[in-house]
Amino acid sequence: MMDCAQLAPLYEEFALGVLSGEERAELEAHLARSCEICTPGVEKARWVVAHLSHLAPEAQPPASLKRKIMSAVTDSAAATEKQQAPPRRAVFPAWAWAVAAALALVTGYAVRQMQTLTAQLANLQREMKIADLQNRALQDQLDLGRLVAAVMMSPASKQLKLMPANSKMPMVHAYLHPQMGVALTAEQMPSLPASRTLQLWSVPKKGMPLSLAIFHPDTQGQVALVAPVTMPQEEIAALAVSEEPAGGSPQPTSSPTWIAQLK
Amino acid sequence: MMAPAWSPVQPAVGTKAELIHMACSSVLLEERKRNAILLLAVVQTWPEGDQPSDASLMERILARDSRALELLYDRYARPVYSLVLRIAQQPASAEEIVQDVFLQLWRNAKRYQATRGPLEPWLFTVARNRALDFLRLKREKQRRREDSDDFSILPAAVAGPHPEDALDQARRGEQVRSRMASLPEPQRRALELAFFEGMTHYEVAATMGEPLGTVKSWIRGGLQRLRESLGEGFA
Repeated sequence: MMDCAQLAPLYEEFALGVLSGEERAELEAHLARSCEICTPGVEKARWVVAHLSHLAPEAQPPASLKRKIMSAVTDSAAATEKQQAPPRRAVFPAWAWAVAAALALVTGYAVRQMQTLTAQLANLQREMKIADLQNRALQDQLDLGRLVAAVMMSPASKQLKLMPANSKMPMVHAYLHPQMGVALTAEQMPSLPASRTLQLWSVPKKGMPLSLAIFHPDTQGQVALVAPVTMPQEEIAALAVSEEPAGGSPQPTSSPTWIAQLK
Repeated sequence: MMAPAWSPVQPAVGTKAELIHMACSSVLLEERKRNAILLLAVVQTWPEGDQPSDASLMERILARDSRALELLYDRYARPVYSLVLRIAQQPASAEEIVQDVFLQLWRNAKRYQATRGPLEPWLFTVARNRALDFLRLKREKQRRREDSDDFSILPAAVAGPHPEDALDQARRGEQVRSRMASLPEPQRRALELAFFEGMTHYEVAATMGEPLGTVKSWIRGGLQRLRESLGEGFA
């Protein structure tokens, strides 16, 4: 049987999860009986060990993750509210009904006023909702901007220039990151009819091109996007953009409008 | 109808929390209604000047303020996702695990409050446990399917000093990285196998083809270096 003094040097190894056999069983037994020395000791050790997390290479979570979490939270909050507030019969004494009836008779004006206020409240809620949606759209743009900037600025990103097939067209810039995917930026892009779209492809050294993203330049002719890349970087021969029917194609149906070879 | 005093919001006046309160408490009156919408637009796009502490955000989560969760997400999603992706190695699974960690934080805020430890290492601990569970499940294919849906998250208590601000945390992360980078490669690898792959002493020794005693002393030495790198915070 080991005592606390013998176990103390093992707290961090326990928190790391490397202990096994007798040492681990002994420490677990102390924790199971809420040992006053070992319990805080292991809690402190967990704090130390948790800092090894900083050794993980930095990666950017996709922008969609935050939206998923927040919408799940909103949904669960609404469900809880519903559960916690079952319809209840109000307990209202008879004399109060009489007073209420008298008041209602006397103050027809108040009722009308209440209706106006209710309508105003509904209006306010609608306007708040619109403001909220506008804000979310801005937030999305901001998130995307941050993400594009993160890929562009990362020293691990490989910068590529996608040359246009037609020399009058602008150049498209790509930044290929081993974990975060590819960021694509361009300006002064020609506008496209609604029936057509641009599609980004990774062209492997062997095999068929793989679609990475379908996109449209915005009204100012700008493009900024980040798309995940599942193919290992060393297997990619080129990145290319082609013009495709709306909705994109499983395989390119036209020759690349922009292309960059990977060295 | 009296027009309430309305002047353009100056960032120097009041905190963001106060503005949100003003926006929320503006009711019904036509002018206030306009102000409420304007204020909301201002506060939601206004960058945080005074960063609320983790503890105050957790209090707000307990009061079911989802904006507080959003702020915590902005603060910790990146390091937590980096950790989980390093362990799980699959972006789609890492995304699911991180989503689960933050949803558990929302749902189990009371249980977190009970431990009252600093939030960042607690989040790391929970995220690491979840990601290692995922890794083990992936490795043990014969395990029954229902087990995979049942790895409940029991937040382990973490005790340590509360960092003063996000900068403090970032500084601590930088210290850890630079001190650990100076460890000899095999020692660092042994620690990484234990932390990111969830291996025991025996498994690390077998994977690296090194004697058990050597691996134990590497890991113990590495942990000591880690403790030193955390410096005065670890009193």
